[in-house]
Amino acid sequence: MRNVDDEDLIRSFEDRLRERAGRPSAISASVARTRVLAQLPDVSRPVPWMRLMAAATLVVVLIVAVWLGSPRPAGEGNAAQTLAVAPALDPNVVMWVIDSRTTVYFVLSRDGSENRGVS
Amino acid sequence: MALVSVDATTPDLVQAALDGSRDAFGILVGSHWDRLVRLARSVVGDFEAEDVVQDSLVVAWTRLAGLSDPQKFGPWVSRIVFRRCLRANHRQRGRIALEAIPEPSRWCDPEASLSAWQVLARLAPRQRAVLHLTAVEGMTDAEIAPVLGITAASVRAHRRRARAAVARIVRGGES
Repeated sequence: MRNVDDEDLIRSFEDRLRERAGRPSAISASVARTRVLAQLPDVSRPVPWMRLMAAATLVVVLIVAVWLGSPRPAGEGNAAQTLAVAPALDPNVVMWVIDSRTTVYFVLSRDGSENRGVS
Repeated sequence: MALVSVDATTPDLVQAALDGSRDAFGILVGSHWDRLVRLARSVVGDFEAEDVVQDSLVVAWTRLAGLSDPQKFGPWVSRIVFRRCLRANHRQRGRIALEAIPEPSRWCDPEASLSAWQVLARLAPRQRAVLHLTAVEGMTDAEIAPVLGITAASVRAHRRRARAAVARIVRGGES
């Protein structure tokens, strides 16, 4: 706990602080005003409709992001799920599963030609 | 450009400045200049105070659209000044000890001025600002808090530590 002497010292310091702060500024307010105004850059202020547009764009982006990130309906299983139930294939057959309704088969033959089919 | 009434209130002037009126902003500069310079002097000293405040006011002009409540222009611009003071302090630390910077002594008793600054210079910038805003501007903790970007409880803690440090320094217990 501070003693009485400390309180006096602090009070005396605060008096000096006030005295110091009471000095006039080296630059008067009117001169400062002129100087500051001369330095002001041109600023384009955002208008309300710009903010509304920005908010609407943000909402659209969020909706699209949520839609893209959401799981697909059961009928549109992904390729990995389809592969899990795919029949065993010959070694010369390559199968691409595009989606649940579209599978592309590549049948490789010795003479280099390919037989292709879409199921 | 809209004409600015001489008796326009601060919110009116802020709104006019937002609409592009440099005259309105000029009135705000004129009415806040002395108070802002006093704050800057207590945080960075006389050497850089006016430059810091001028820079801060230019920054305030560019960021005026971010001021949510025009009524609070005073605390808002004070906070910009305080932040620029912190940056100036940081730059000064790399160059020269704060207390070694002489102050102009043409306005009042040089001994009193120098010793007040010598004490201030040994405090942390936030402590200087808290002492200044309390003792010189007579602001409450709730008014000081937004200027420094801290809570009212932190203001009280800074003031308590600052006063203890002042007593120590003035008694000669700390070089």
